[in-house]
Amino acid sequence: MRVTILDYGAGNLHSLAKALDDGSSRVRVEADPVAALDGDVLVLPGVGAFGHAASHLAPARDALRAAIFGGLPCVGICLGMQLLFDESEEGAGAGLGVIEGRVTRVRARRVPHMGWAAIEDASDSTFERAPLDVAYYANGFACRPSRADVVRAWSIHEDDRFPAMVREGSAVGVQFHPEKSSRAGVAFLRALMAEACA
Amino acid sequence: MLTRIIVCLDVRAGRVVKGTRFEQLRDIGDPAELANRYETEGADEIVFLDISASLEERATLLDSVRRSAEQLFIPLTVGGGIRSVDDTARALRAGADKVSINTAAVAQPTLLAECAERFGSQCVVASIDARCTADDRHWRVWTHGGTVRTERDAIEWARECVDRGAGEILLTSIDRDGARTGYDLELTHAVASAVPVPVIASGGAGSAHHVRDVLVSGGASAALVAGIVHDGVTSVREIKELLDRERIPVRKVA
Repeated sequence: MRVTILDYGAGNLHSLAKALDDGSSRVRVEADPVAALDGDVLVLPGVGAFGHAASHLAPARDALRAAIFGGLPCVGICLGMQLLFDESEEGAGAGLGVIEGRVTRVRARRVPHMGWAAIEDASDSTFERAPLDVAYYANGFACRPSRADVVRAWSIHEDDRFPAMVREGSAVGVQFHPEKSSRAGVAFLRALMAEACA
Repeated sequence: MLTRIIVCLDVRAGRVVKGTRFEQLRDIGDPAELANRYETEGADEIVFLDISASLEERATLLDSVRRSAEQLFIPLTVGGGIRSVDDTARALRAGADKVSINTAAVAQPTLLAECAERFGSQCVVASIDARCTADDRHWRVWTHGGTVRTERDAIEWARECVDRGAGEILLTSIDRDGARTGYDLELTHAVASAVPVPVIASGGAGSAHHVRDVLVSGGASAALVAGIVHDGVTSVREIKELLDRERIPVRKVA
């Protein structure tokens, strides 16, 4: 399996690359969004701010959308999940618009939603293959999909309930950081990749 | 949100050291190996605090970060010597998930906003060293490793850091640091009530009960531990077992 991590130039991709490398995959970090399409699965990592990442993706937005709608498996983590949506309160620019909805600030007294928290009402089959009930989150914003049926797991922070996982077509997004959620998180991420390419 | 136990490792010239400030430093191991061991024990995060005395030593820190990122699957924060957006970029590139900024933020408060805008607030930790002297009667911010007194009020400064983009506050009581008499609950509570972001309490842990106290009475979201777990006074596992018994939400150790 050839895994490409798209690098928007804003942070730590080492542990993600290591977590994705199960010994049988070839993991590559690619800064050029068009070149990043040449792989079996595209990973949108969870580091950086929305505006900065969206402007990095802008020139390749149409090509990325066409590839994902054409069936290219795409896994978005944290900010990467948010980039699958239409737009965000965090910053200017367009998301990929692969999943319909907006990204808005987490509605709570303590923001960012930072630390280890439960994953609730998980319905995705990946959780059966690799159980994960607690994960590390670091998000000040959350996805608000127009359709509830894309949501495969939930998070609750104070009075706000937002998706922990969404899936639509070949695109899947997780709000938490599996690559920072210790061994169970890494196992979950690998199961997610295996499923994406099955 | 579960409460967090964060283990801090002082790193100098590529090794984890222990000692009082810059005197009698004792080598206690390899940063990557120790970080890994604490992850296995149940630590929720790791902090590398760079206590290098020279630029040559500082350069080796990023190597330690790189090696750690290869095998560490919990968040890693790098603090000490972060003075610019470029320093932050380098630390994150090397494999850190967050940076903590202390003296440089006081000298140049716009740095917090610049880092937050580029990398997101979630990776910007404002580190505040506070001390309340008899003359002051309130907590002031100290910089340069707790050696230089500033005129800033610690609580006001914490608020300002958040306004400028910090996603967490790492709050150290200079007077309690290393004393093992317990965290400064009053200081922690004052700051935790004043800011909307998570506060990590630091300085003074002498037992697992002290950790419980700062999470419950101090209102901290996380507790930083160093000496007590390095010396084996207690362990991350024991602290978490105590918290779990007292029904304080923690990530359970497998």
